[in-house]
Amino acid sequence: MSTETTTTTTATSRFNIWEWIFTTDHKRIGILYLIGSIAAFIVAGLMALLIRIEQSSPSTLLVDPSEYNVWLYFHGAAMILAFLIPGLTGFAANFFLPLMIGAKDVAFPRINAFSVWLFYGAILLALLSFVIPDGPDIMWTAYPPYSIITEGNTAFYVFTVHLLGFSSILGAVNFLITVIYMRAPGMGWNQLNLFVWTTVAAFVLQLVFIPVLAAAVTLLLFDKYLGTHFFNPDMGGDVLLYQNLFWFYSHPAVYVIFLPAVGILFDIIASMGKNRIFNYKACVYGGIGGIVLITGEVWVHHLYVSGMPDWIRIGQMVTTLLISVPVGLIVLSMWGTLYKASITYNTAMHFTAACFFLVLLGGLTGIPLAMTAITVHLSETSFVHAHFHFIMAMFSTFALFAGIYYWFPKMTGRMAEGVLGRIGFWANMVGVNLAFWPLFIIGVQGMPRRYPNYERFPQFEPYHDVATIGAFIIAVGMACTLINWIYSAFWGEPAPANPWNSKSLEWTHTANPPGPGNFSEDPVLDENWSPYDYEAK
Amino acid sequence: MSDETAAASVAASEGGEGHAGHEHHWEVSWAPLATVAGIVFLIPLTFASWFVYESTLLAVAFAGIGTPLLLAGISKWVAEGMSQKALVPGVAAIGLPIFIISEVLIFLSLFASYWMMRLGADTWPPEGSAEMPVLLPLVMTALLVSSSVTIHVAEVKMDRKDIAGFRTWLYVTIALGILFLGCTTYEYSHLVSIDFVPSTNAFSTAFFSITGFHASHVLVGLGIFIAVAIPALAGRIDKTFVTCASIYWHFVDVVWFFVVSQIYFW
Repeated sequence: MSTETTTTTTATSRFNIWEWIFTTDHKRIGILYLIGSIAAFIVAGLMALLIRIEQSSPSTLLVDPSEYNVWLYFHGAAMILAFLIPGLTGFAANFFLPLMIGAKDVAFPRINAFSVWLFYGAILLALLSFVIPDGPDIMWTAYPPYSIITEGNTAFYVFTVHLLGFSSILGAVNFLITVIYMRAPGMGWNQLNLFVWTTVAAFVLQLVFIPVLAAAVTLLLFDKYLGTHFFNPDMGGDVLLYQNLFWFYSHPAVYVIFLPAVGILFDIIASMGKNRIFNYKACVYGGIGGIVLITGEVWVHHLYVSGMPDWIRIGQMVTTLLISVPVGLIVLSMWGTLYKASITYNTAMHFTAACFFLVLLGGLTGIPLAMTAITVHLSETSFVHAHFHFIMAMFSTFALFAGIYYWFPKMTGRMAEGVLGRIGFWANMVGVNLAFWPLFIIGVQGMPRRYPNYERFPQFEPYHDVATIGAFIIAVGMACTLINWIYSAFWGEPAPANPWNSKSLEWTHTANPPGPGNFSEDPVLDENWSPYDYEAK
Repeated sequence: MSDETAAASVAASEGGEGHAGHEHHWEVSWAPLATVAGIVFLIPLTFASWFVYESTLLAVAFAGIGTPLLLAGISKWVAEGMSQKALVPGVAAIGLPIFIISEVLIFLSLFASYWMMRLGADTWPPEGSAEMPVLLPLVMTALLVSSSVTIHVAEVKMDRKDIAGFRTWLYVTIALGILFLGCTTYEYSHLVSIDFVPSTNAFSTAFFSITGFHASHVLVGLGIFIAVAIPALAGRIDKTFVTCASIYWHFVDVVWFFVVSQIYFW
């Protein structure tokens, strides 16, 4: 036990930039992922702000529709591919998964460094979209035929996906091997942190489903630049083939984001509530395992209005609704863990509590979208837009932020519990609800998604105005949060060794922050050890 | 796209073994960054310069920057991997098959696209298709299957510490792989000469995409073998590295059976 190691200085001897750029250490790679994904988040967030300003007026306010398309492209692609996925599976998994299982590093440290730089290569390509002539203007979905006939540079989109996909697949191989072979002696499968389980599940999904997306965009590249006809119905191709391949990955991608977010929340509520995980095995094997099994069979619900036989629609409605069962098991475990817990309401726990509310809203508004009869009406309206933002933008981002607050002392050796963080939280919480509730309402009334102008629906303008005000409040919240992190990382109050009195291995056995090799002595555990071994309540 | 993987499969962390806890230092390697930089210059930037912006000068410049970076990165990576001990010895031979799961899925997506087009067509092959040869795919199958046998023989020689024998059979494998790609080149040039190109029709679309994608994997496999062969000249052989190269090659061989049965003989 290294409880005597209290503050920052174990490993930070002298700052050496090359030790960071050429690093193969999982913690430093995790920090590199964090910096890259937060940078992508800031740029993509500014795009969202611009989009909201444009929509505050029914007619053209800032830009013409083609430039607006580039904003939409960057906002969607960067938020999902360069912020949420690398933030959750890149940063959080890299820094904390090896610590949680008692490993010195991941199994292939150099492949890990390779992955993070592929991610930066992809960010570079995405940012170049703004300066090259004819940047990609194809959303993050890149549906043909538009993505093939456009003047825009579809190739950059394709290669961005290739680089990120290759990075994630190698990450999957790396972390699966790490969890299988590098757990501390004595650590059994039912003694893993739930964050470890959810990360394993996310990487299994990445490994199996990303190649299909890679194939889809590769065929797009062939069609646009080499003259093939995969998506050209005139020559025997099929334009829906792309949509099927694309969503075959991109629906599971929701769970690649959702699952690690859930894992972070589990670890936080157990530590802050000093309680065991309720129904651990049902949650792991039924909940997480169930999602992994079902999530590959629901992608067609993204094509409900693209044209398909009714019997496929009905089948897809059943599988889509079926996923509520494993999700329900997970939610049950979460509430059961909170039951009779003595909860410490710090900033991490504020974000966590908000997640319970946001995931409920996002989940419940998903049910009408799964129903084929209702979804034909709601499809391509801002109801859909609001629904998936509650899950992706709010729930997952809040969970990641909760994780950053929870592990902040571990990463920096300092606390980030200042009042600025609380202001940031409340501004975010008020802002997101203000920004997205109106979109539900006008979505039901028929406001189309993705339109920069809506002169024919002037009655929607007040709702858009409220949403735009909400977006600015979010911007204030994000600014407070980021300033709080940067300030606290350098000048915050030094953290005690185990500020939350957690039983998890990364808190009990490593310094703040851990040095090279992580553990001063190799942890050895027995069958009675558990990361959630709190006294029974 | 996988030569780095196999090269890296012997990657190790030098701090992993033989140090007591407090003596760890931060591990560094410039190989991964150089390899990524090489890839970014050589593939996305060169491709976009050539096909999107139609600038030969830019394309040549980017390829000229990317190629040495890529080669330097891979060489350094192989050298480090072969001289350092892995955190979990030999585990790369399990990591590579996990990676191959994703390769299987990408080939499956290509075949699924082909099946969708073919089964949805009124007549097949569509108008303008070239007659598929019978003899050439059989010869190519024979070449690839025998190369799978020869790399296995090389592994047996390696296990018996017969380094000269290992090298010989490795060279034979590489030669067979090059012959295979020669057949591909011959066939492509013949087809192009009779105006059967990727844009001809749905069958040419599938034919060039699937055989081309497979050929690119043969090329990567050969690249890995060369990365094995160069240190082997100096007598340095890493068993895990050889095993990984061999597993990858067998995988490429198995995929070829699907290519032959679906494209040539259906």
